[in-house]
Amino acid sequence: MTLNLEGLDLSILGPACVAGLVVLSTHVPLGKQVLSRGIIFIDLAIAQIAGLGVILAQYLGIDEHGFGVQLAAAAAALAGAGLLSWTDRRWPEYQEPLIGTLFALAATGGLLLLADNPQGGEHLKDLLVGQILWVSYAQLIPAAVLSAVLLAFMWLRGGKLVGLLFYALFALAITASVQLVGVYLVFASLIVPALATAGMKGRSRLVAAYIIGALGYVSGLVLSAVFDLPSGAMIVWTLAGCALLAQAVPAVRRSHPAHETEQAVFDAAA
Amino acid sequence: MKLFAIPVLLLAALASTPAQAKLKVFACEPEWGSLVTELAGDKVDVDVGTSALQDVHQIEAKPSLIAKVRSADLMVCTGAELEVGWLPQLIRQSGNSKVASGQGSFMAAAQVKTLEKPTALDRAYGDVHPDGNPHVQMDPRRVLVIAKALDARLVQLDPANAATYQQRLDSFSKRWLAAMAKWKAEAAPLKGRNVVVHHISWVYLWDWLGMNQIGALEPKPGVPPTSAHLASLIATTKNGGNTLAIVRAAYQDGKPSEWLSDRTGVPAVSLPFTVGGDAQSKDLFGLFDSTIAKLLGAAK
Repeated sequence: MTLNLEGLDLSILGPACVAGLVVLSTHVPLGKQVLSRGIIFIDLAIAQIAGLGVILAQYLGIDEHGFGVQLAAAAAALAGAGLLSWTDRRWPEYQEPLIGTLFALAATGGLLLLADNPQGGEHLKDLLVGQILWVSYAQLIPAAVLSAVLLAFMWLRGGKLVGLLFYALFALAITASVQLVGVYLVFASLIVPALATAGMKGRSRLVAAYIIGALGYVSGLVLSAVFDLPSGAMIVWTLAGCALLAQAVPAVRRSHPAHETEQAVFDAAA
Repeated sequence: MKLFAIPVLLLAALASTPAQAKLKVFACEPEWGSLVTELAGDKVDVDVGTSALQDVHQIEAKPSLIAKVRSADLMVCTGAELEVGWLPQLIRQSGNSKVASGQGSFMAAAQVKTLEKPTALDRAYGDVHPDGNPHVQMDPRRVLVIAKALDARLVQLDPANAATYQQRLDSFSKRWLAAMAKWKAEAAPLKGRNVVVHHISWVYLWDWLGMNQIGALEPKPGVPPTSAHLASLIATTKNGGNTLAIVRAAYQDGKPSEWLSDRTGVPAVSLPFTVGGDAQSKDLFGLFDSTIAKLLGAAK
């Protein structure tokens, strides 16, 4: 494999890097909650529902470019969030399988609608398969504003979001981020830093998760430039790599939940 | 010391000689990269953005792609909306206004008359490209027209090498016309035969060879066909026994065409579709050598 230094250019990697940090800013704290609620596939379901919203909008003859699409995607994602928040209250024990079912329904529902709408497929792909390298600074402004608003909300609520508010904010964050960086990176940004720091608590956990996320994005972008590989896929792997390396840091590993449960079982036996 | 002085001086002299700045060409697809090489040889540097084994409707973004477009003097792509999913973003990210429009932007499909150009834009008819079907590389006649236009563009951008470009075009035209006559003679038994395709990417080849496309497995890209469509396609394929093959491009999944082949007894054939699509398709000549040979193989 040849090293490729011409791709190592800040004006190429810069916007992508900023996009990654904007996505991380909301996804790290949200991921913490997603993990503790045990609903890790909710982001895939919400993204798919947002895509379905776009297809539906087209089906109803709404303009396919610009603001109309964003409105349709956000409206569908919020409707999905409303539904999931209701099922969460009604059948909390079945929330994870319900999310999985909703994901499959949204994805295949899109295919059923597309059977009559030959061009919708491309737009669905546009929405779900955002590519981090195509991001421009201009596109980042609305996403950054939305992230700031979401972070302010979370800060006002002391980091804890409940019920409909959690689902609604989550839906908006995901709809924006999926279009910037694609669904794989959204999933990884949400789950991997939160998982890597699952044993930590409070502010130090948040800081550690942010550091892991930022290192994952930066190293992924650099490696993808040097080895000439697709950036999005590379970053998913470096995120996981950074999360694994972080386990070598005693403060991150010390109070890992796996050890805690082992201890508890041992105590009970004694 | 003396022993080292001469090589060091030589090296320094080499390094300080301003290298003749070569024209840099970015080709979106391998067939155009190959054509540029035919016409310009080592007078230009060519980078190709995609390979024969991928669907050029969509690509994975890599930093090197943006870097290559940034330094390009000329961009040679198919156009007619084939690359609409990624080329605009790529050009925008590269910030290279030279290739965004004007002389630095060469769109092959715009140089020839396209087929399947809708007379009225009506979305009800499905996957409509307002500029017609973009896959013009599968007609050697059109390739020659494109070669001439591309050569003129190279001359415009790099007049210092005009003589080379002219001479290489003459040589290419001569060899291409001879090859076309040979292909046409070889392909005589294919004339009038019917074909079923995976996706409607082959109209220019059928148009050139006088073959008829009677059906498509996946009329809308990305949308699985309905059972009613498949049932009627089986009937159409069997009908009359004149169906030569079920054709797909090298990058396409073989399952649908093998499925239809199992049910109809008509052979499924994978064609290279562009330079690099199979071992034989090393250049544009190999592409058509292989395509004709594979179609003739199905006729046996």
